[in-house]
Amino acid sequence: MREPAWRIFAAEYNDATHVIQSKEEKAPKYVITPLGAKVNRLFIVGVLTDVEEIGAEGIRRRARISDPTGIHVVYAEAFKPEVASILADMEIPSYIAVVGKTRIYEPEEGVLYLSARAEMAKEIGIEERNYWIIEASRNMLIRINAMRDAMNMSNPTAKQLRGLGYPPVIAEGVAEAIKVYKDVDLQHYEIMLREALSFITSSRKEIKKNYEQEEEKILKIIESLQSEDGAAWEAVIEEAIKEGIEKSVVEEVIVSLMEKGLIYEPQLGKLKIV
Amino acid sequence: MMEIDIEEAIDEILESIDVDRETVEKDLRKFLDYGVPLEHAKQAVINKYGSVVKEKKLKDIKVNERNIITVAKVIAIDEREVEVRGEKRKIYRGLLGDETAILPFTAWKDFGLQKGDVIKIRNASSSEWEGQPRLSLSEWSEVEKVDYDIDLIKRAPRKCNLIDLRPGLSNVEVRGKIIYIEERIVNIGGEERKVFSGIMADETGKVRFTAWYDFGLKEGDTIRIKGGYVRKWRGAPQLIFDENSEVEKIDEEIVIQETIVPLYKIVEAGGGIDLYMQGIVLDVRKDSGIIFRCPKCNRRIRNGVCEEDGEVEGTPDLRIRALLDDGTGAVDVIFNRQISEKLLGKNMEEYLDIAKEAMDYSIVYEEIFDKLVAKPVKVKGDSMPSDFIVTIFAKDAEIVKIDEKKEAEELLTQLEG
Repeated sequence: MREPAWRIFAAEYNDATHVIQSKEEKAPKYVITPLGAKVNRLFIVGVLTDVEEIGAEGIRRRARISDPTGIHVVYAEAFKPEVASILADMEIPSYIAVVGKTRIYEPEEGVLYLSARAEMAKEIGIEERNYWIIEASRNMLIRINAMRDAMNMSNPTAKQLRGLGYPPVIAEGVAEAIKVYKDVDLQHYEIMLREALSFITSSRKEIKKNYEQEEEKILKIIESLQSEDGAAWEAVIEEAIKEGIEKSVVEEVIVSLMEKGLIYEPQLGKLKIV
Repeated sequence: MMEIDIEEAIDEILESIDVDRETVEKDLRKFLDYGVPLEHAKQAVINKYGSVVKEKKLKDIKVNERNIITVAKVIAIDEREVEVRGEKRKIYRGLLGDETAILPFTAWKDFGLQKGDVIKIRNASSSEWEGQPRLSLSEWSEVEKVDYDIDLIKRAPRKCNLIDLRPGLSNVEVRGKIIYIEERIVNIGGEERKVFSGIMADETGKVRFTAWYDFGLKEGDTIRIKGGYVRKWRGAPQLIFDENSEVEKIDEEIVIQETIVPLYKIVEAGGGIDLYMQGIVLDVRKDSGIIFRCPKCNRRIRNGVCEEDGEVEGTPDLRIRALLDDGTGAVDVIFNRQISEKLLGKNMEEYLDIAKEAMDYSIVYEEIFDKLVAKPVKVKGDSMPSDFIVTIFAKDAEIVKIDEKKEAEELLTQLEG
């Protein structure tokens, strides 16, 4: 059976610290996220913000793809030269879709670096990007609900969750996640989801031209405030207001800069120039 | 060691050999006195008398048993070809039943079995299939027809929606409306029998059926069937019922509607008919684009040569095989020329011109890839037989357009609630 491709936001995927694999030979590995996604293959969509060559041969490439919640790291390996060349030829920033398998790097027990090994990459338009955000959000909401249902059960099993109507992959993932993740903060993910959706509900297509000056100013502010891991979102807003930009405009401009791939969120609540 | 463990072990031993309790206990204790662990001791006693294996009822057969002896009735049997180490072999699959259970079976050689036969089986084994035991009849199994009938188990059938029917399920209860039915005469073991095949539908989907008994069914009837079973036929589940099933006409309105089926359900069922599905095209297979077909046999030809008819003047055709994924499962979908043209917004002649100009047909593939990959597509279609991935032959398809703001707002409302 072909593994389905999970539409999953970067922040949820990168939060995962648990991997399962059955004992059979050549059994696939699954990343279990705190909300119970059971991921072997991903469908990632976002803004391509950065592509770098890695390794001596110059064939392998590592790319960063920004979505409303964080950054997906994607590798194009030597055995997929067509994917590597698509990444190399794409303009930065642009919208990209990638299908990939989970790539798990565990330098030491309990430390997990998750990324994706690309099988397919393609430049796309804003409609496909927005459609993806809707799907990723809808799926995340199902997992939040499944997780909440599981938390209310005394001894949740995949079978019980299936009985509530959840698809088997979600039921299995949630039953596994609830065993290993203690006290998953559902509210944290609900806020994340709300922010992701507000990406679409607040229209900002027309602001791109109108706020050029503000964009310049905010870029300068971030540059002056940023350290290794970026500048605090709150501090940037405070500084921009001091410079006479309205708060709502500041937020719109920041999001638009992210969308353009000029800045990104290295971690939640921090902003950094690409 | 607990006395109760020893008692249990003796009970278990007695299940597999035909020796009196006293002897078994004496033998077992002797091994235990020598310090042999209980599990080994148990096996040693069974081995000592192993030549006598008791006949078992189907409900007592567990997973991974050997030397099984049982008497059962063939409820269903299907022939299919499989490839074993590069060699084509015929195997037979079906269901066996007795008064205690119904189990699936696989016969690795032709024992000449027919539906309705009551057989005594020796030296069969069992494996696990979808969480239940499955009997396996190998080269070394003995099968002999007996001349008496046996009753089949009567347990409450399992209620299913039509979309949830999976090949291998037995004793199901469904309800639905007959939307098509035809009568055929088939020859089974030299005997002519009437069978009725058709399509029935409920709110969740449609399924092909075959009735091995004349229930007087007509198109438009709404019926309830208790005690049907499901097998795979032409790449889709097929519901079978016969004189052992209970069929009644019911006075219920069934509204047949377009329901989008999550792909995992289609993958689990191994296919289906008149399915509606929606997913994103994540790949376009390399055999998509302009192809040439033999004008005589319609097969795809390569380099102007047809495997059947030799050198021919090929007729161009446009077709796409795309991987559709909805996040829960993935299927291949085949789009014929007409649907491909609709999805691409260009007709085949235009693509032929583009290809001729570029002197390269692969340019058509590139454009299809560009136009379809990452696009949401809604498909209506039937599954067709395929080996690796469930394959749907599309009867209609369209690119999905959504009002993303509305959808986002709806999700936000759900999130608040």
